[in-house]
Amino acid sequence: MKQLFALLLSIFIFLSACSTKELSSASEAKLLDKKWGQIEQEAKNTKVRIFMWGGDEGINHYMDEWVAPKLKKQYGITLERIPMDTHEFLQKLLNEKKAEKEKGTIDIIWINGENFKNAKENDLLFGPITNKLPNFQKYIDAHSLNIQYDFGTAVDGLEAPWGKVQFVFLYDANKISQPPRTFAELKHWIKEHPGKFTYPEPTDFTGNAFLRHLLYESVGGSEKLLERGYDPQFVKNKAEKMWTYLNEIKPYLWHRGETYPNSLTELDRLYSQGEVWMTMGYNEARAESLIKNGIFPKSTRSFVFESGSIGNTHFLAIPFNSPNKAGAMVTINFLLSPKAQLEKFRPTYWGEGMSLDPSKLSEQDQQALNEINRGKSVLPTDILKKHLLPEVDPRYVGWLKENWLHEIVRKK
Amino acid sequence: MKLFGKSNLLFLLPPFILTIALVGYGVIMAISESIHKNEQLTFQYYVDVFANDIFIASLNYSLSIAFVSTFFSIFIGLLITRWLYRCWKNDFLKIVYWIPMLFPHFVWGYMMVLLFSQTGWFSSLVYNIGIIHKPNEFPVIINDSHGIGIIITYVLKETPFVILMLLPAYHQLNHQLSSVVRTLGGKEWDVFKTVEWPWIMPILFETSIIVFSFILSAYEVPYLLGTTYPKMISLLVYEWFFEGDWSNRPKAFAAMLSVTMFIFSIMMAYTSLLIKKRYHMMKGNGKV
Repeated sequence: MKQLFALLLSIFIFLSACSTKELSSASEAKLLDKKWGQIEQEAKNTKVRIFMWGGDEGINHYMDEWVAPKLKKQYGITLERIPMDTHEFLQKLLNEKKAEKEKGTIDIIWINGENFKNAKENDLLFGPITNKLPNFQKYIDAHSLNIQYDFGTAVDGLEAPWGKVQFVFLYDANKISQPPRTFAELKHWIKEHPGKFTYPEPTDFTGNAFLRHLLYESVGGSEKLLERGYDPQFVKNKAEKMWTYLNEIKPYLWHRGETYPNSLTELDRLYSQGEVWMTMGYNEARAESLIKNGIFPKSTRSFVFESGSIGNTHFLAIPFNSPNKAGAMVTINFLLSPKAQLEKFRPTYWGEGMSLDPSKLSEQDQQALNEINRGKSVLPTDILKKHLLPEVDPRYVGWLKENWLHEIVRKK
Repeated sequence: MKLFGKSNLLFLLPPFILTIALVGYGVIMAISESIHKNEQLTFQYYVDVFANDIFIASLNYSLSIAFVSTFFSIFIGLLITRWLYRCWKNDFLKIVYWIPMLFPHFVWGYMMVLLFSQTGWFSSLVYNIGIIHKPNEFPVIINDSHGIGIIITYVLKETPFVILMLLPAYHQLNHQLSSVVRTLGGKEWDVFKTVEWPWIMPILFETSIIVFSFILSAYEVPYLLGTTYPKMISLLVYEWFFEGDWSNRPKAFAAMLSVTMFIFSIMMAYTSLLIKKRYHMMKGNGKV
């Protein structure tokens, strides 16, 4: 019996040792008072773990083949990229918060929208950090609304803008000579080509964005939604037009609207197999790498509606319990440098829009920016800029998910 | 109770404690999340879940898919086993029924997409032969609202498992009894009813419960092959759990615990009803 007791005791001691708090928050608060040079010193020869969505090969190659070697050379920082879905690492952080684990494993997260709102409300982020980052101060237009607000949530310096994307539709120019210019024309086209169009369910980020465009149109413009903030009563009355439109096109959709692709990947697969003739997505340049890999046909082109396309900024943040906050700040600052952002803009890897203000760049960098050819499937910058629409309160995302199921799917 | 002898206990202790600590802690946290609202005890989430018609639709859909798939897997598995145990000596057959078990469910599901979607392999085949004139004339088997694609996948995948469970039982069967029935003028059906059925029934029920509960709570196949509405229960719960609005989380816990409780009660009912019976039957057969 004594033996048994001893064994039990040792196991409990082992288990409880796992959750011993390491009180280091005081020294980290001081980190924000330090000079940038000191932070850079502290970051030297450390390891930084970045947790980010890993579903795009172009993005992964950019991080592994371009960013990681440069960071190593310049700062001696070893960058480890860990692919994981945003909601999963947020869950991990929330668990760690609940367990009062002061030393986590994540140094940087890639985040925006609802996830940022959740993280901010649950105090999962370290900061404010942006006023410490030299490249943020130098190159970013801190007054613009899509830097100050992330889906309507005030950023408060807790995350640094990494890139900007804009919603576009993609189509096969060999099959469609003249893409529709408005929602009305799209309806017409869908009816003429039954089964050739569909959109992902609104639980998917892209599917939801497609519906938000329609919602903007239905309520009479994004300004109306921005002015009022989240107002379900107002939208409920105004959204009738939207539901009518969706129900009207439903019988002419892929599988007669009885089911919808559950993710953008699924819609992309249907498009690449020619089952549908259009796909869509946040990121005006995302077709380029897919064409290069032979997944999309070479004749893939993009278009936006005359009523506009929603633009979106995405961000980088540091978790409250990052074990290497100095390294994380130096890495984020590096990712915001003109060099890194220009490379990201090139279609070689990612082809995504810069978060920097082009007018703040040096002449040399501006010239380099103008010389980049983004590829045939990407719309010219001035057209994209002219049609840019803002994001509205993230609660509309949930509102659409819920009501779409009632208004569209369950109505036979 | 030799199991709790002093020396054996020590060997069992570490895995026992780990299981209790990890799984037990998870379950307890889930239960606690599902019955607390603002730190007060409440069953509101369970009430909410069962008043939610999306959940009810999903539950009906999942139960019917699980039931139909289990029934066909058991039925086909039984037929094949009866045929197979006579040809047991042929090792090649053993390999054939092992093959589907080697692939994970996800791979199997994706193969279904490649074969049976409207631009899939079979669709192109009949299109090229000229049976259909447009790819979308091919019947909708994948992502259909009746879950046909899901059912086919599970039947293909679980039948080998049923065979695996049944074959040893058939080998232990007292074959002299079958001969007795035949010499007394019994048909094949009589052999099955009087000799085989009582012997394999407990195993059949056990296997059914395993297969049924597995399908009821599975995720990857319905994710690939399912439809937008209704969704299978695990997909719905996953959505509640991981969607942007975290206020649905207790509801997700409540829903999943209800399913767990349902499976658990089937298991309890089975144990109390059949274990005794099985014991008697084994005795009756002279093989204690």
